[in-house]
Amino acid sequence: MTDCGCDKAKAELEEFLHDELCREDAADIREHMATCADCSGEHKVGIVLTEAVQRACKETAPEDLRSTVLARIRDLQASH
Amino acid sequence: MAELESAVMITPEGDEPTPATSATAPDPVEADGVAEATVEAVEASDEGEPDLRALFEEQALPFMDQLYAAAMRMTRNPADASDLVQETFVKAFAAFRQFQQGTNLKAWLYRIQTNTFINTYRKKQRDPYQGTIDELEDWQMGGAESATRTSGSTRSAEAEAIDHLPDSAVKDALQKVPEDFRMAVYFADVEGFSYQEIADIMKTPVGTVMSRLHRGRRLLRGLLADYARDRGIAVPAGTTSKGSTK
Repeated sequence: MTDCGCDKAKAELEEFLHDELCREDAADIREHMATCADCSGEHKVGIVLTEAVQRACKETAPEDLRSTVLARIRDLQASH
Repeated sequence: MAELESAVMITPEGDEPTPATSATAPDPVEADGVAEATVEAVEASDEGEPDLRALFEEQALPFMDQLYAAAMRMTRNPADASDLVQETFVKAFAAFRQFQQGTNLKAWLYRIQTNTFINTYRKKQRDPYQGTIDELEDWQMGGAESATRTSGSTRSAEAEAIDHLPDSAVKDALQKVPEDFRMAVYFADVEGFSYQEIADIMKTPVGTVMSRLHRGRRLLRGLLADYARDRGIAVPAGTTSKGSTK
């Protein structure tokens, strides 16, 4: 296999990160990054960004929301 | 699946083929009338189907925290987020008989929530740019998007800085990203939906999902670099959204 080069890797890094590439393309990117500090560094920023978003977006629904939803669903089902 | 999506991805934007197998059941809230009619149906068959509610509570309610987290990103405040989640579950329950068991319930719920948000809450807090945001050029959105060109040696500093930012900073930055971009990022990066699933949820071509995701992440990256720099965390100047020229 020949190195796919930075242009292809950079263009497809985000799809690689989101697991949207076919197996062959993903393998090309992986192979390129193994020897390219620039692209693997860019990939690392992408991973860290994703993880930061995941951490920041964790929420727990308020307890009263749970009971309200349950009550409304039971109301809906009960004939009136 | 990966191959199929890859093939779909290279289709020119605006010309995506409709996938043969949708991840979700027919949309229950396409028209309000449909959902209303289903409410009647559920009520009418009450005695015959006591298990429908139990099944719904068992399968759908566990997604409440996730739907609430998404609702927080959509509405930006806890009261509206709670209302939105409540409406989502009520509509979903009303339409639950149309949900095809075995298909992606989480994506189905998100579709209902996204529709509900657009039909009710977005009208209240309408962003003046909403609807045309996809067509805006990078330079019209400010410098953040075009400012992420850094050299290799400084990327590790950037990764390090992002990694150490408090959650509140990331939340604030997310709220500054235009809604459609923000939600594309949320669906992909937090929920791990595929591009095709996001396209189904947001009712937009896969090409638009890719573009929203890409621009949303670039904006976010620039905003986080700004935040870090404002607090004296060393981040390469080229990374921030301020003072950069295209």
